[in-house]
Amino acid sequence: MSAATLVTGAEQVAALRGARIRAVLFALFALLALAAVPGAGSAVATFSFWVDTVGGSDAAFSYPVAATWFLAGGVMAAIAALQLRRGAGFHWRRGIGIVAPLYVVAIVGALLNGTAANLTVLFTGTLNYAAPIAIGALAGIISERAGVLNIAIEGKFLLGALAGAVASSLLGIAIAGPIAGALMGAGVGLLLAVLGIRYKVDQIVAGTVINLGAAGITNFIYLRVLQEHSELNAPVNILPVKIPVLGDIPVLGSILFTLSPYFYVAVVLVAFFTYAIFRTRWGLRLRASGEMPSAAGTVGVNIIRLRYGAMVLSGALAGFAGSYLALGGTGGFGMGISSGRGFIALAALIFGAWNPVYAFGAALIFGFAQATSTLLSILGVGLPPQVLLAVPFVITIVVVAGLIGRVRGPASAGQPYEQG
Amino acid sequence: MTRLRALLSTVRLPALSILVALLVGALVIMFTDLEVLAALPHDPIGAIGMGIGRAVAAYSALLRGAFGNPERISEALNSGGDPALWARALRPITESLLRSVPLIFVGLAVSVAFRTGIFNIGGEGQFLMGAVGGTTTAIAFGGAGLPAPITILAVVAGGALFGAAWAFIPGFLKVRAGASEVITTIMLNYIASLLAFFLLSNWDFIQREDHTQPISKALETYVTMPGILPIPELRLNISFIVALAFAALVSWFLFRTTKGFELRAAGLNLAAARYAGMGAGSSIILAMLISGGIAGIGGAFEAVGTVKQLSPSVTGGVGFTAIAIALVGGSRPAGVVATALVFGALRNGGALMGLETRIPIDLLFFIQALVIMFIAAPSLVGQILRVPFRRRKGVPA
Amino acid sequence: MRLELRDITKQFPGVLANDRVSIGVEKGQVLGLLGENGAGKTTLMNILSGLYRPDSGTILIDGKERVFRDPAQAIAAGIGMVHQHFMLVPVFDVTESVALGAEPTRGLLGTFDRAAARAKVVELSKRYGLNVDPDAKIETLPVGVRQRVEILKALYRQSDILVLDEPSAVLTPQETDELFEIIRGLAEGGTSIIFITHKLHEVLAVADQITVLRRGKVAGNANPKTANPKELAEMMVGREVQLTVSRGASKPGATVLELKGVNVLDSTGEMAVREASLVVRAGEIVAVAGVQGNGQTELVEAITGLRPADSGEISLNGSNITGASPRQIADAGVAHIPEDRSRDGMVKGMTVAENLMLNSYHRPPYSKGISLRREEIDAAAESAVKNFDVRTPSIHTNIASLSGGNQQKVIVAREFSRPVGLVVAAQPTRGLDVGSIEYIHRRIVEQRDAGAAVLIVSTELDEVLALGDRVAVMYEGKIVGVLDAKEATRERVGLLMGGATA
Repeated sequence: MSAATLVTGAEQVAALRGARIRAVLFALFALLALAAVPGAGSAVATFSFWVDTVGGSDAAFSYPVAATWFLAGGVMAAIAALQLRRGAGFHWRRGIGIVAPLYVVAIVGALLNGTAANLTVLFTGTLNYAAPIAIGALAGIISERAGVLNIAIEGKFLLGALAGAVASSLLGIAIAGPIAGALMGAGVGLLLAVLGIRYKVDQIVAGTVINLGAAGITNFIYLRVLQEHSELNAPVNILPVKIPVLGDIPVLGSILFTLSPYFYVAVVLVAFFTYAIFRTRWGLRLRASGEMPSAAGTVGVNIIRLRYGAMVLSGALAGFAGSYLALGGTGGFGMGISSGRGFIALAALIFGAWNPVYAFGAALIFGFAQATSTLLSILGVGLPPQVLLAVPFVITIVVVAGLIGRVRGPASAGQPYEQG
Repeated sequence: MTRLRALLSTVRLPALSILVALLVGALVIMFTDLEVLAALPHDPIGAIGMGIGRAVAAYSALLRGAFGNPERISEALNSGGDPALWARALRPITESLLRSVPLIFVGLAVSVAFRTGIFNIGGEGQFLMGAVGGTTTAIAFGGAGLPAPITILAVVAGGALFGAAWAFIPGFLKVRAGASEVITTIMLNYIASLLAFFLLSNWDFIQREDHTQPISKALETYVTMPGILPIPELRLNISFIVALAFAALVSWFLFRTTKGFELRAAGLNLAAARYAGMGAGSSIILAMLISGGIAGIGGAFEAVGTVKQLSPSVTGGVGFTAIAIALVGGSRPAGVVATALVFGALRNGGALMGLETRIPIDLLFFIQALVIMFIAAPSLVGQILRVPFRRRKGVPA
Repeated sequence: MRLELRDITKQFPGVLANDRVSIGVEKGQVLGLLGENGAGKTTLMNILSGLYRPDSGTILIDGKERVFRDPAQAIAAGIGMVHQHFMLVPVFDVTESVALGAEPTRGLLGTFDRAAARAKVVELSKRYGLNVDPDAKIETLPVGVRQRVEILKALYRQSDILVLDEPSAVLTPQETDELFEIIRGLAEGGTSIIFITHKLHEVLAVADQITVLRRGKVAGNANPKTANPKELAEMMVGREVQLTVSRGASKPGATVLELKGVNVLDSTGEMAVREASLVVRAGEIVAVAGVQGNGQTELVEAITGLRPADSGEISLNGSNITGASPRQIADAGVAHIPEDRSRDGMVKGMTVAENLMLNSYHRPPYSKGISLRREEIDAAAESAVKNFDVRTPSIHTNIASLSGGNQQKVIVAREFSRPVGLVVAAQPTRGLDVGSIEYIHRRIVEQRDAGAAVLIVSTELDEVLALGDRVAVMYEGKIVGVLDAKEATRERVGLLMGGATA
């Protein structure tokens, strides 16, 4: 038995109980799906994709709803059985990863009730929505891994968006927007670091200061300056680009390779920082700083400098992500433009268990919920949009409540570090 | 004499924090004025003079909006008892008091949680759910033709119940699963907003007839909160008295009762509270129920008594302002009331500032953020003003 | 290397922690730094390791003056610290923990070269016979192994000077012996070692030279070959030590507390107390000895209702109190002086008066219904402060601003001001000055003489031997022996503490 699997008694008991609860939940979902089979009758769901470019010719396909329910219920039943047999060792997150799309397909099919829906827009909407969320979550991960709680992503989004819009408008160069957003974010990160590290302000209070102050000052500047001088809020938009060759692949090209540049940057950043956090010297020290700073401090790691650096980096990433909100096609800055997406990034970071790749996955799920909500309301389907919009918030509560399995954040996040 | 000195030393930091924040706000007004900025390179002195002029104009409008126009007050005084003139003279100050009512309620709510060591960022959601509860009971009881006093009591109870229920969730999850209340209350704020949006656009019982927007029925047809001034044009109503009564009640509860003692002990040292045989978990849940209940009553009064209709935007960021108020007021009921009166006056005066000088009222949120920052980092104010400050004990900061 | 600290002075607000302290250690030598709690040992070592800067004085290595601005510079100069509280990240594995701060890297990104670090850990572990698995996660390791990981950290950095701060506090005698062997091996290999402790027999066993600290000053130097324990002890505490508390013979009465086959789980779900059976009678003191972490904490928590017993029965005056709440148990006349004074015993931020009321506020005359009665509370506080000699400016002073000894007196006053049938005192004098220790011992004996049953838990053998009418020894969760005061010699108890059968 290797040391990594040595779990102490109480944890084992709790894990087993969690596993049983999950098994019951899964079985319940399986039953629900199977119960829906007869109700679906011979209904057929029809979906289409744009073949080349959005708005061009489309290819449609249909599937029977009842069969989908059956398939989803069957797979879920199998997962429930596996969960019950293997207990805590079962990789249930992977199981959910397999079965959730089936449920989504079944539910959407049932909701459509005969109307045809276009999926290209659904998927590109999902991916583009996920980009700033994933980068924002990454920003939060870096700061929390260093030991500084970060509830100020929302505020950095707002300030990054404003800075990006104004800089891009003034300079007329596309790249100026994201850079200004990142610089503004870095400045805010530095302020947070000074408050939290130098002045030992409670990190939740400091985050509240940033969120409240950012909302106030960006609204103020919008109303007092930008509204009268709209030339300051006419940025160069950074629109989706088609990647040569790959973008010409039928169907897939217009989904995966005709996206906002922010999405590609997000993929690169997530990959890069996953490596940096888990494989490099910087990452080792960063994680030590978040788990037990005294352990690193006593062997000569400068925790204060490390945390300052992480906060500035975290701020820059969040500000960069924020610039997307103003430049990604909305035509400039608007009051309250982040509309809670900073907190959705926080939700993604928790749901993603402080791991950039998982957080990206969470961002995709949240993006899908958002895009589905948009699609359904366009199609006039009778599902209130609030239900899907609440998904990130409800999931986060379920996760922090440990209902479906415990996630463990950095142990020392939130505590100021004092040398000696 | 010593009591006066104690009071002065308590008030010094909050007062200076607000003052410095207003000064920074003045700088923001100056340097977001494009005319000032344009003049700055070639005529710096003139530009700064112009900027100061703008800031003075803005703040004087703010003060008149908050406390009344001295001319009108003297007019009213000279007129003897002309009710129309008195109404005009007193409207700003009474509106300021009315504005401070929700701030007092939620400020008290946040303070009770702070005292128990809980960072309740969920004032916003609890206030909104209280407003939903109050609106629902107002329509139900008022619609059934029950007498006003009964309806009003029901509205208060409905608000308290909904707010407390909403706050129970994070309290319960903290005790049972160790879930951070910061995260759960943030998320519940958004869920509350979506839920209110959903109810107001799908539930015919409260949704306004022939409206697609998420707005409730006009609530004055069901119940009106009795005014407390002899001049009917002034809107100040019993909610203000109730708010003050709650402040006294909370003060008594925290410092003069066994349960309050348990809450404070749990807030300062959970392990010691357990050791001393106090139910630490039940203290947390009790504190959240009280906190949510008080916030909910504030929401019910605001929607039913003051705005007279419910929409998801009825909160206006009160939950976050309340955090500032609790911090500035040292989580003491008297401090909360005093701070809420100041912030209520600023909010009310901000309207006139916007009208006269086109300075957006949103400046006040920025100023509030600065106030929180200065309170939480006393040495920062000390460095700005070159006076020594030490961190205060017993308040999360 | 030769290390010398000359005239080190360090002042903290209100405390002169180090007052012109000079110590020295030669290459390959073990210096025993002896001193009671608060003598300034840890401050001195924090200065040596670069965590604090001295106000004045110099550090010389091989005769050359060195200034350490941060721990990195001290490490670079060859100084390795093994802190009293282990500085290991629980979720890291051994290789990561050892390499942290001195990681081998490759590539442009500074990739952590795990394989290289691991190989070095394996090699060092083998060379010094430390027997540590390089891939084990820290949180799964027993404390003895964690300490060896700490030593590995120093070796990994090629430290020439190794400082061990109270290394035996968490070890069994056997583990301590193993540690001594490792220390001697290192010294023979040329490492200079500073061994900080407050235990006389340890410095006598392992040191080549002894320096005694008292109240921030060097009280004297001694040679372990010629020094006598009594002299060293006097040097340490500054006057003739009173090794026994003056007390008459016990007159045991009826059984007050009885444990029958009690099992208790700790927070991680491990069985911390196994089949414990014990009787404490009125008018006697039963002292529980044992190395820290052998189930004493959990035993006390089970008796006082803070932790449920997994099985077995605890009865008080004949009635079963297993599963009763802390409140019910306290109300039944149990006084509890908790092990961790700051964490459990008081509420910092509340006044002395409020802290005195912490577990009786709900009873008359201090409250009526839900309403507190301030006058009664204040009057009781005034008299408690007077009776227990608590030095405080006022009963309305925040307890956090009192000294440790006075804080403990507040706790003792609170617990002894109620009618008491059973006293449970865990580490009642940890970290206190000698005056406070004697005062609290006297109060406990008074309770016994007044007819209370007393259960004391202490990891200090001296305290156990001085107070116990009977001595129970815990080892790995079991009560491995109960001795009468007459038979409880240092040797016998020590053997039992180490797991040997009596």
